[in-house]
Amino acid sequence: MNRLKQIFIYTFLSVAAIVSIFPFLWMLVSITNKSVDVTQGRLLPGTHLIENLKTLFATVDIVPALLNSSIIAIITTFLTLLLASLAGYGFEIHRSRGKDIVFTILLLSMMIPFAAIMIPLYRMFGSISETAPLIGIDSLGAVILPTATTAFFIFFFRQNTKMFPKDLVEAGRIDGLSEIGVFFRIYVPTMKTTYAAAAIIAFMNSWNNYLWPLVILQSPEKRTIPLLISNLGSSYSPDYGVIMSAIVIATLPTALVFFLMQKHFVAGMMGSVKG
Amino acid sequence: MKKFNLMFLAAASMATLAACSSGDEEASGGSGSEGSADVDEITAWAWDPAFNIAALENAKEAYNGDGDYEVNVIENAQDDIIQKLNTGLSSGTTNGMPNIVLIEDYRAQSFLQAYPDAFHPLTDVINSDDFADYKIATTSYDGEQYGLPFDSGVAALYVRTDYLEEAGYSVEDVTDITWQEYIEIGKDVKEATGKNMLTLDPNDLAQVRMMIQTNGSWYVEEDGSTPNIAGNETLEAGFETYKEMMDADIAKIVSDWSQFVGAFNSGDVASVPTGNWITPSVKQAADQSGNWAVVPMPRLDMEGAVNASNLGGSSWYVLNVDGKEQAADFLLNTFGSNPDLYQTLVEDIGALGTYSPAAEGDAYAVEDEFFGGQQLITDLSTWTDEIPAVNYGLHTYAIEDILVTGMQDYLNGAELDTVLESVQGQAEAQLK
Amino acid sequence: MSQLGTKKAEVDLPVRTKYEESRRQKTGVFFKKKVGWLFIIVSILAITIFNFYPMVQAFLLSFQSGMGANLEYVGLDNWRRLFGDPTFIAALTNTTIYLLIQVPLMIVLALFFSVLLNDPKLKFKSFFRIAIFLPCVTSLVAYSVVFKYLFGIDGIINQFLLNFGFISQTINFLADPFWAKVVIILAITWRWTGYNMIFYLAALQNVDKSIYEAARIDGASSFQQFFQITVPMLKPIILFTSITSTIGTLQIFDEIVNITNGGPGNATISISQYIYNLSFEYTPDFGYASTVSYVIVILVVILSIIQFRVAGEKK
Repeated sequence: MNRLKQIFIYTFLSVAAIVSIFPFLWMLVSITNKSVDVTQGRLLPGTHLIENLKTLFATVDIVPALLNSSIIAIITTFLTLLLASLAGYGFEIHRSRGKDIVFTILLLSMMIPFAAIMIPLYRMFGSISETAPLIGIDSLGAVILPTATTAFFIFFFRQNTKMFPKDLVEAGRIDGLSEIGVFFRIYVPTMKTTYAAAAIIAFMNSWNNYLWPLVILQSPEKRTIPLLISNLGSSYSPDYGVIMSAIVIATLPTALVFFLMQKHFVAGMMGSVKG
Repeated sequence: MKKFNLMFLAAASMATLAACSSGDEEASGGSGSEGSADVDEITAWAWDPAFNIAALENAKEAYNGDGDYEVNVIENAQDDIIQKLNTGLSSGTTNGMPNIVLIEDYRAQSFLQAYPDAFHPLTDVINSDDFADYKIATTSYDGEQYGLPFDSGVAALYVRTDYLEEAGYSVEDVTDITWQEYIEIGKDVKEATGKNMLTLDPNDLAQVRMMIQTNGSWYVEEDGSTPNIAGNETLEAGFETYKEMMDADIAKIVSDWSQFVGAFNSGDVASVPTGNWITPSVKQAADQSGNWAVVPMPRLDMEGAVNASNLGGSSWYVLNVDGKEQAADFLLNTFGSNPDLYQTLVEDIGALGTYSPAAEGDAYAVEDEFFGGQQLITDLSTWTDEIPAVNYGLHTYAIEDILVTGMQDYLNGAELDTVLESVQGQAEAQLK
Repeated sequence: MSQLGTKKAEVDLPVRTKYEESRRQKTGVFFKKKVGWLFIIVSILAITIFNFYPMVQAFLLSFQSGMGANLEYVGLDNWRRLFGDPTFIAALTNTTIYLLIQVPLMIVLALFFSVLLNDPKLKFKSFFRIAIFLPCVTSLVAYSVVFKYLFGIDGIINQFLLNFGFISQTINFLADPFWAKVVIILAITWRWTGYNMIFYLAALQNVDKSIYEAARIDGASSFQQFFQITVPMLKPIILFTSITSTIGTLQIFDEIVNITNGGPGNATISISQYIYNLSFEYTPDFGYASTVSYVIVILVVILSIIQFRVAGEKK
């Protein structure tokens, strides 16, 4: 019985893994093929890898774009984790009627499609461009600001805080920690896996963000990776081998972040902190 | 534990740092305020590095005016340009807008009418008579010429001569034919070679658009906004022809651009009826060299229809921001009056302009080995002049999205009249 | 430094007088209330500036109509227009279908994967985890090409179904209104299951292992453990993922544009795609586009209230 269950689980996971990985593998294979072969969905590796990479590096400035995307994604992730966890903690641990109402209102902010608020938002950044160019149109600051605080992550941290043992907070206060001390010294280390999950998602969201950076950034040297890839695909005669190469390079950082962060998902972490 | 307090500090300082570092650079773009025309750098947006971006670079070389300014060419995807322009222009923030922008002809009227003061008229700058008639119709509005016509979207029929031969046809047999004749040939080709005659994408009515322009008709009336669907005989003929192609089973169904390109690159189809900008993609399959020829577009079997049509094509526009004088000066002294530039465009990037005086040049007469020694550019240029002029108006894509649904119904057996009337009704309701 | 000082001062807490103790608690309560707001104030400010302010503008816009910059107030015309707009109705219907089928399917799958992949004894755990996560970082361009080939007329799926006799004739999945929706639902589920799995995997680490130990000693089967421990413990996160997935699916855009572009006809068009078309694809009418956007807001609000109620959380 147990044996059967094992076999079932491994078969199920393997099938799921193959289905999940297949397009990714195809993507990897594609960077070795000519554009003609890519458009025909060729599944076998070719010999065009070096040419594709050469063309890619010759036609676009992928390194600055990677750098821009990294700066934006790292800062956004930092700010998101910090502000959202503070807020999620505040809403749950220092719960009050007033805060519950505010929380409900905050949730509203994630329900509107971004396209609908983009133009007013753009007008806002446009109006401060003259006085505060640091966060005006065409600045990395303007990309980061609207994305660094979202109700999504506040909601996420709040829900996870519901599973956080409240007596730890009391214990911290009795130990003489200040309120902010309780947060940084008890809550943050205990919720490591929550932070890891939020970091993956925040990094990924920021890394893949397209519409807002597109409209707010103007100079080519400030472009992020998704904007660069969008450019590659818009030619009348797109070179799919080169596009795939850019895509693979663009995908690796998020995959790497996930790989590093998922190691924190180790069962029993809570116990050790509590004990 | 200290680590986390440090993290807090680090995050805060990084945020400040980022803001500062991006602030070092000056706020770019024209500020939109009137007055100072003394701009020493102008910006131009286009989307294809192998095509219109390269054309701009060529134009910079060829510039023969006496203006003293830099032209900064920036590549943006076409959809990206549309989003950036719409967002910028509708928010009234000209900050960051380019001086020169390339806009697809189907969308030109939308931009000109949606943002009335955003574009700088070129009426006094260029000579409209120098350009193909059909381009002028789409790039002017309210008596003013706004666009400087760029590439010809002249449509043509790219054919595989080897497949035709196998079915017993010559290039002459497919020259200046009607769509009905085309379908008959398609059946024979399929029987002889097993290959489909063409690809069709049921979600993209480019095929129908090309068909109806052969008879000078469009989705809207001449005013550019009233839907002209129900009772539009040309459109009816287009729909019927489309269905005949489907019923004759000579079309390979594709669902996107890469499959479309893939089909002819891999030799799955015997012909490609489309815009001439497809040439580089056709030539991508180098092993097929010598097996292709290009002939005029088939026409609808109607009185007045001609063997010439258009698909796509775009034109340059000057935005009404600081630097507009320089932008107009740049366009005039390049695309607006320089026949030699057009020779370079043909030679270097295979881009066919619509500037009539350029057609005399040597570059246009070159024989293309890939197409069996055909003087392709001369031919395309001749056909460009024959394209019937229509006003694409405001709603090409909006109406087409409704039409696509109608086409589905029609292909599934609904009555054509009913379908088109329903589309007309929907379009009128949506486009108030 | 100051923190070290505080710590030292608190060491002699036990010898404080009763009076001091009670005073400290009183100010503590007052302070505690205030300090709670300090935790959230930055976020409130940021969200107000970057979300609510533009949202109010968008709301005002929803009562205006016109081409591009030529907007004028039209009262409730846009709202009336919605009901007579077949494209909007098609988009609303499609999006609702996606939502009803796709969200529950994905939540259950994600939960299931996370429990399997949380087993400490599972071999190749990292591999399976990253495999199931990969779809949400795989580029849309790549996966739409692959999906289109898999489901093409001569694609692998058709060949498989033919060879095994499930069908007698190939199905043109992407050109058939019913099957195209199925492909979209599969594509969304495929892409976002691993994403939701992350939330569960992280939350599972916060579940006390000893509860499972106790249950196992009591002889509870895996299924019983799943439904009687895992699900109730993860309830806050299940609520979170179902609300955010509801929002995600109601705003679905990328998959549709890349795989079917709304076709055949309008068979797969989503509300967000329609908003995009109204803003950028057609002659722009940002007023009407705002109205359609607010339909999404209204739907999400209603569905969220229902989900909060079902989850039994006090508002």
